[in-house]
Amino acid sequence: MDFFPLWLSLKVSVTATILTVATGMPLAWVLALKRFPGRDFAEAVVVLPLVLPPTVLGYYLLVLISRQGAIGRVLDAAGIELAFTWRAAVLAAWLGSSALFVKAAQAGFESVDRRLEQAALTLGRSQWSVFWSVTLPLASRAVMAGTVLAFCRALGDFGITLMVAGSIPGRTQTTPLAIYDLVQSNRMAEANTLSLIAVATVALLLMGIGRFARLRF
Amino acid sequence: MRRIPLLVLSVVLAAVGAVRAQPAPQAITVYAAADLDMAFREIKPLFEKATGVRVTLVMGSTGNLAKQIEHGAPADVFFAANESFIDDLLAAGAVIPQTRALYAQGRLVLAMPMASAVAVRELVDLLKPEVRRVAIANPAHAPYGRAAQEALESAGVWDRVKSKLVYGENIRHTLQFIETGAVEAGIVALSVAGVPAVRYVPIDPKLHKPLNQVAAVVKRSARPDLGLAFIQFLNGPEGRPIMKRYGFLLPGDF
Repeated sequence: MDFFPLWLSLKVSVTATILTVATGMPLAWVLALKRFPGRDFAEAVVVLPLVLPPTVLGYYLLVLISRQGAIGRVLDAAGIELAFTWRAAVLAAWLGSSALFVKAAQAGFESVDRRLEQAALTLGRSQWSVFWSVTLPLASRAVMAGTVLAFCRALGDFGITLMVAGSIPGRTQTTPLAIYDLVQSNRMAEANTLSLIAVATVALLLMGIGRFARLRF
Repeated sequence: MRRIPLLVLSVVLAAVGAVRAQPAPQAITVYAAADLDMAFREIKPLFEKATGVRVTLVMGSTGNLAKQIEHGAPADVFFAANESFIDDLLAAGAVIPQTRALYAQGRLVLAMPMASAVAVRELVDLLKPEVRRVAIANPAHAPYGRAAQEALESAGVWDRVKSKLVYGENIRHTLQFIETGAVEAGIVALSVAGVPAVRYVPIDPKLHKPLNQVAAVVKRSARPDLGLAFIQFLNGPEGRPIMKRYGFLLPGDF
């Protein structure tokens, strides 16, 4: 039995979740607090990845990042290969999970009492400092929930990853792809083992986070 | 004296460096259609033993794999379930024209769950009211689905069976509908039908266009010779018996 897919999935989904939080946090904050032209449009674009079938989304992404693609060509010139590497799997997981994080975090930021932020501002805090010391702590439950959702979605991504990273054993075959492959070749015992390990790991992880969250917040 | 451990260390490091500097073992990545799954898993270790070349198998639907190869997937050789996909890749300049090879013909079977009480022996039996659902691969893009539709049309039952049809994504997915007993019957490839929960009867190959399975070496392969060697191995004394056992017709036999 090959355990590489589990290790790869962990690496991909942790990296993707970090990327999702890093890109999604400012976006969620802007969407929650700022009013600007095109805001409704931006909000719609954020959730679009949830609407399209994942393999179709993956195909569009592949067209963009393959060597002949608009983004791929630039990366290729810089000597970076993205398509069919584990980094492509990270990009796939990020694309699939960002909407979940952004929507949850945005709702969290929107529910924060604006007067508390204003009070901090009048006391001479910068907006940056207000975000870290007032807004984020008050929205922490929603942000945490969004992070957990994003992580699970990243871990479970199938369609987008299949198209942009391929299902190359030992290189880009993540756990969901490996399980699918095993089922396809009728190796049900191995498929069940892998599924069970993946599900149990995540369940333990989430239970751990739940306990940590209650303790801390 | 103090210098000696250092000397030993540097010799060891140099030796490690020398080992590291040796060329990596030869390896190829084989992209292959889902219907080849079982046969290729048997052929892979034989090829590795005979040639010393490490093989990575990537199995999937021919359509998906073809799209990926067109966009630069790291495949060395591609075994499609249908010649049209290889010809599209040829037109796109993604595979080497001289390496295009007809490696097998696929065959269709009429399959049903082992436990099923409904007697289905020929395509006409699909009209029986006890047969409520019939699985075939999606004829819009799966080669075996297209052939299944042709066979049903030739047998003159397509129009009446149509409302009972359930489409699988590919031939293995279609087989799962039958294995799980979700349908009373289905049409799948002989190469995948040999599983415990399924029994089957062959379908006359004259009822559909030949299922020509074609392979080609991918243009961006660093070792096109190895990909070609795999195609030849498949049609050689070690590959042929396995391919035959999984129900493929081989070059020279059709």
